[in-house]
Amino acid sequence: MAIAAPEQLNISEVPAWGSRGVDCFEKLEQIGEGTYGQVYMAREIKTGEIVALKKIRMDNEREGFPITAIREIKILKKLHHENVIKLKEIVTSPGPEKDEQGPPDGNKYRGGIYMVFEYMDHDLTGLADRPAMRFSVSQIKCYMRQLLTGLHYCHVNQVLHRDIKGSNLLIDNEGNLKLADFGLARSFSSDHNANLTNRVITLWYRPPELLLGTTKYGPAVDMWSVGCIFAELLHGKPIFPGKDEPEQLNKIFELCGAPNEDIWPGVSKIPWYNNLKPSRPMKRRLREVFRHFDRHALDLLDKMLTLDPSQRISAKDALDAEYFWTDPLPCDPKSLPKYESSHEFQTKKKRQQQRQHEENAKRQKLQHQQQHSRLPPIQQSGHAHAQMRPAPNAPMHGSQTQVVGGPSHHYGKPRGPSQGAGRYPPGGNPSGGYSHPNRGQGGGYGSGPYPPQGRGPPYASSGIPGAGPRGGGGSGYGSGGPNYPHGGQYGASGTGRGSNMVSGNRNQQYNWQQ
Amino acid sequence: MSSGGDNHHLHHGAEPKRDEPTTPRVLTILSCVLEKLVARNDQLVLGSAQLGKSLSAFHGVRAPNITIPNYMERIYKYTNCSPSCFVVGYVYIDRLVHKYPDSLVVSLNVHRLLVTSVMVASKILDDVHYNNAFYARVGGVSNTELNKLEIELLFLLDFGVTVSSRVFEIYCQHLEKEMLCNDATRVIERLAISNSVDDVTEISVEDTQTSSPPQIVD
Repeated sequence: MAIAAPEQLNISEVPAWGSRGVDCFEKLEQIGEGTYGQVYMAREIKTGEIVALKKIRMDNEREGFPITAIREIKILKKLHHENVIKLKEIVTSPGPEKDEQGPPDGNKYRGGIYMVFEYMDHDLTGLADRPAMRFSVSQIKCYMRQLLTGLHYCHVNQVLHRDIKGSNLLIDNEGNLKLADFGLARSFSSDHNANLTNRVITLWYRPPELLLGTTKYGPAVDMWSVGCIFAELLHGKPIFPGKDEPEQLNKIFELCGAPNEDIWPGVSKIPWYNNLKPSRPMKRRLREVFRHFDRHALDLLDKMLTLDPSQRISAKDALDAEYFWTDPLPCDPKSLPKYESSHEFQTKKKRQQQRQHEENAKRQKLQHQQQHSRLPPIQQSGHAHAQMRPAPNAPMHGSQTQVVGGPSHHYGKPRGPSQGAGRYPPGGNPSGGYSHPNRGQGGGYGSGPYPPQGRGPPYASSGIPGAGPRGGGGSGYGSGGPNYPHGGQYGASGTGRGSNMVSGNRNQQYNWQQ
Repeated sequence: MSSGGDNHHLHHGAEPKRDEPTTPRVLTILSCVLEKLVARNDQLVLGSAQLGKSLSAFHGVRAPNITIPNYMERIYKYTNCSPSCFVVGYVYIDRLVHKYPDSLVVSLNVHRLLVTSVMVASKILDDVHYNNAFYARVGGVSNTELNKLEIELLFLLDFGVTVSSRVFEIYCQHLEKEMLCNDATRVIERLAISNSVDDVTEISVEDTQTSSPPQIVD
């Protein structure tokens, strides 16, 4: 083409993706499965490096190459950051494979297309859901800071993630946290004037502006999700487990207050506001409900869970929050304990069955029995909370002794110096700052606890099954079929983290499921 | 598709068209640019220029009957994709020919290149878009083939499907310039005539005579 000017715009290319075959890798075990296809742990034969292979589901003839995969690939191609999952390459398999139909046609992609990711041992949800798992305060700070750093990087590069949730935050045994599953991500323009779909983000983590139907939004949508995760880590369980959109909004209003033009100018112009606005005024109760949280944590959470997206704190400002600069400081990821891999597929199946037993047992118990919840963080101060729950038969971390029909809470022997906190403790340790004798003072971002680049490939250290109850697939690689149900199947899956209601029009409804 | 069933006859002249969108100017310019390019490249091939194999998946046995302007307008009309998709699709084609300099856009491959690249652009740009099956019908190729071409295009581009607003802007300016250089009147006249062949409900750019693409000279 005789074009002079644009010619210079073409960036020089790295060796083409797709030029290598999947036979460069030896599949070790399946670490995830769902309607989407499979995720494997594999070893690159030449280098011995452990990777995750995510097969791109190609069997929906009418949809062609899944849009989620195109988006994920194009976005990950330009994002390079230690807190963003690295897409190493794409490999193809010429087939024939048993599950592929169609006559041989010499198509070199017929057997399948795989995305090759760096291997990560865990996802945050799986890790948090292990019985007896207790995150320390500095561990939560460490994860939160990595999450915000990765997200800030995305936002600076004009990428909205649009599906931030625990199962999409992968964690390796070096303590590194990386954002994964960019299947719903997209670029945005800074003026927020484009019309974007509001049917994104898993329901429990979806911000009020999307629930109210806005189609003009920006990075603040991700920050709401971060706030939900933050609260979940501190609180020990999801804070807005709605089962459909109206209930979701209601749960948000109950905690964050009902929006009006005073606290959220322009809210009444959002498309569905008039249909969905609360029938009565509701007061913001966040600070009251979470009064037992550390003061700086609560300040930050308050800013993240701000209803008006234009007033919600940005990732950059959140990183500057007092929370990250007061004792105990975020710990060095490398100092975190190493956990057995959360991905063993077989183990997951076992856990799933075990979980099922527990659920059944629970159902037979009293109605008011709380649903499974994780433990709130270890309080590292000397103050024990007023309400201490009994911890009978506390299984050690990693043990398989979580008994069928046992208590609905998993109590663990705390790894920290003090006992655990109750949920909503009546007279808990309000605004008492943490003090941690072992942490020194910290300076700027570069001053210590945060490691520079570079980490070896994490290896699953053992085949010892972990004991986390989270069943289902290793969804962090974007494989979580159950999280993308077609409209209406809320909570249909025992493994999904809320529902991601992203179907909606005839053209797209299959696009989201892979 | 919106227009009636098996009604294959052509509409003529003054009859008002149903759901006829105004053709965006960018489509007019683009089709003109592509036509010029194809005409020139066809000459080069006739003059026994050697073609590389990179685009061979997009080659048909013979050139489809439908003209480039009509084809583009057809895609625009039925898929309702945003006009930017055509610019971005053009960027993809341009990236291809720069990446594989021995490959030329010629009348044997331009249609398949167009429908595939516009479809991929629409998938990337538009949160709401038609699926491959629909594009295949509009584009006159089979669903299976279009899927194959889509993967082919993505891999040829090495998944470099991002077009920044700056690059987009530059391409638009370039197209504007091209238009000025052209004999604008001639283009508009011709478009006015060709508009009328658009209501053929089913078209085909598929090869019916043989299933294998012609061998391209190495």
